[in-house]
Amino acid sequence: MKIIESSKIKEKAYVEQLENGLTVIIVPKKNTKKKYIIWGTHFGSIDNRFIMPKTEEEVFIPDGVAHFLEHKMFEQPNGTNSLDTLMALGIDANAYTTNDHTAYLFECTNHFEEGLNELMDYVQHPYFTDENVEKEKGIIGQEINMYDDDPSWKLYINAMNCMYKENPIKIDIAGTIESISKITPDVLYKCYNTFYHPSNMIMVVCGDFIPENLIEEIKKRLLPKENQGEIKRIYPQKEDKINKKYETAQMEVSVPIFMLGFKDMQNSKEEKVKKHIAIEILLNMIIGKSSKLYAKFYKEGLLLSEPSLDYEFSNEYAHILISGTSKDPKKIEQGILETIKQMKENGLDEEHFERIRRKVYGDYVVEYNSVGDIARMFLADTIKGVQTFDYIEQFETVTKEYTQEILKSVFKEENEILSVVNPIQN
Amino acid sequence: MNYQKEQIKNALTLHQINTNNYKTNLYAIFLATPLKRENVTLDALLTAVLRRGTKNLPTQEQISQKLEMMYGASFDCGVEKTGDNHIMKFYLETLSEEFLPKPEKLVEESINILLDIIFNPYTENGCFKPEYVESEKQNLKQIIEAKIDNKNKYSYDRCIEEMFKDKPYGLYKYGYIEDLEKITPEELYNYYQNLIQKCKIDLFCSGIINNDIKEILSKNENIQKLQERNPEYIVNNETTEIKEKQEPKVVEESMQVTQGKLVLGLDINNTEENSRFIASVYNAILGGGANSKLFQNVREKQSLAYTANSGYIRVKNSIFIRCGIEIKNYQKALDTIKDQLKEMENGNFTQEDIKNSKELILSSVEGITEEQDTEITYYYGQELADRFISIEEYINKIKEVNKEQIVNLAKTVNINTIYFLKD
Repeated sequence: MKIIESSKIKEKAYVEQLENGLTVIIVPKKNTKKKYIIWGTHFGSIDNRFIMPKTEEEVFIPDGVAHFLEHKMFEQPNGTNSLDTLMALGIDANAYTTNDHTAYLFECTNHFEEGLNELMDYVQHPYFTDENVEKEKGIIGQEINMYDDDPSWKLYINAMNCMYKENPIKIDIAGTIESISKITPDVLYKCYNTFYHPSNMIMVVCGDFIPENLIEEIKKRLLPKENQGEIKRIYPQKEDKINKKYETAQMEVSVPIFMLGFKDMQNSKEEKVKKHIAIEILLNMIIGKSSKLYAKFYKEGLLLSEPSLDYEFSNEYAHILISGTSKDPKKIEQGILETIKQMKENGLDEEHFERIRRKVYGDYVVEYNSVGDIARMFLADTIKGVQTFDYIEQFETVTKEYTQEILKSVFKEENEILSVVNPIQN
Repeated sequence: MNYQKEQIKNALTLHQINTNNYKTNLYAIFLATPLKRENVTLDALLTAVLRRGTKNLPTQEQISQKLEMMYGASFDCGVEKTGDNHIMKFYLETLSEEFLPKPEKLVEESINILLDIIFNPYTENGCFKPEYVESEKQNLKQIIEAKIDNKNKYSYDRCIEEMFKDKPYGLYKYGYIEDLEKITPEELYNYYQNLIQKCKIDLFCSGIINNDIKEILSKNENIQKLQERNPEYIVNNETTEIKEKQEPKVVEESMQVTQGKLVLGLDINNTEENSRFIASVYNAILGGGANSKLFQNVREKQSLAYTANSGYIRVKNSIFIRCGIEIKNYQKALDTIKDQLKEMENGNFTQEDIKNSKELILSSVEGITEEQDTEITYYYGQELADRFISIEEYINKIKEVNKEQIVNLAKTVNINTIYFLKD
């Protein structure tokens, strides 16, 4: 087993790739009672067109399949539901689907072994019938309705629509009532057989474990599977421009909500972690809690609380998102663009940079408080091709000069967009 | 045990939780005062104004800058209802000194900043700065108006409001716009000065702390100035909540929604000591998880809902059932829920159901020590309910609950309010 380490925060991770291709990551945490396991496949809502390695058949799937498949994995041929079985053991079990992965997880204090039995059993045994697929359409239809009522979801989808003309990130993770109506057991099996192969999966476990023993327990529970070649995923050509500057919607909110984005035209050679750290520092300098701009907006009543600041990236997309609530989103946009312009012209302030650097460092360390956060972080980072401890260990290499370069290359006005959801006018 | 508490000057209770489960230290100060219509809005506004500045750090920008230099310490504050008390909560979280890239002293500084925010606010001419009060009034107004944005939360809040109409617990924790508009900086400052001399004050320190907190407190001027008191607050626990049986009140409201929200408020008419453990198990069987009666019957068997669960509010001895349903399914969903309540009364649940429900509760109780704020909230809940029980004892009490007790408790459960949000 390979051991990776962060001496600064006194944590270690054990990494092993098994013969069948499954990557297992174990992060031992002495003296904690909670144990967390997450098993993910590199299959998310954006993977809607691909070539099956065995048959070389090209497959197009309806929107929402990854999420639908996630829902259906719990159902067993004997009529039981694995979620219930786990809950009955006092185990908090769940699953979720994102743009680029699907994950099955549970957290427990007791009965880890029984939980592991159940998890590894149900994820390796799909059971889809015409009848159970039809029934699920009703339940997921309700979930889709819930998203349709959610202003922040609309805000996000519109922001994506501004940035990308044709990119599968624009697809609703759950699909639409119309798209899921086309899902059949055959589609689900095709996706399962392609994407739920161990070589396309990663398992992360965090808690009070002896890694050598745990890995044996995991191996024992894996079913034999033929090796599989690489899955070819087909995505639309990357676009080097934004789609449109502005999009607005009206929904039941009391104050407008906004999401301002910068589309990031990545290149494949850059250092992802370093860039990510620099972007987080910059976002905090521009509009973080202690920034002059936030103080001004707060004073003017234009912002009630700090906007949330995000950088989302994979190989297919990368963008910065600043979102919040404001009675005048256009003014927020102007203020942010003006501040960025000044920072580019005058360079970054030494004292300000150091302060924010410390803050961002603290934010990364705090993530290591919870076994769940640790495991989810390792899974999401590994899918993106990033090593999680690098955020701590490479931290010192992010200099003011490097950060300044990122400001110039990423925060470009021509790549900026704004999505707004306004209250319904009576 | 890793938990100790002691009185400081008859004015403040210090609670220390020594734990190395976290990379952080968490400090919390809670001010408790009885919930009253005339005070809720003042409490909410006061909490917001206090975070704006101290005599030493007069602006929010300066506070934030100071915290950032402390490796991104984070400050947070807010108001909560706990039983019939309104709690003003102030938190400061920092990295433990052990995980800093280079040695620095953060413990004493953290406690002093937190105390300063609450007891040494920035003032001008013997009053809060009018500009701070005015802008926080505007902000609070928007928060109160935003009550409608989250439909799940809104329908839950509305059900509580209807169920506890004209009672303290029915009040909205952020207060009321008509009251807010009338508040002046002078009135708020007078209220504040009066409040800090009478309210109940608790300080919690959790994490890896090698300093003597009592010594830090004894040197602190804010603590030296605090008056001794018999704090004014309300003790709520299952024995204090007396209910009357009545016909269920039905409230329907319309808004632009595609999914209906159905919330039922239930009274538990049982004031026996320790009935809270029975009620916890009852609630878990009814709507606690994926095995519960509500989840299985409302969601899984009939596909009537996307969510269907229930929660037990210990301090008010009430249970709230919450479902997201298709609007046309209202009657069917309501009937199915009523059937489940009957099933509970008739004892139509198995030993297996009881066992599963206990597992569910125990796993969350055992997880208390794995989250810093949850651990603090656990001990503070005990403090306010005026009954101390260790986590180990709590676990044993849950294990002891039997079927007969659950059925007897089920017979005392009545629907008080049915709230439905539709299109």
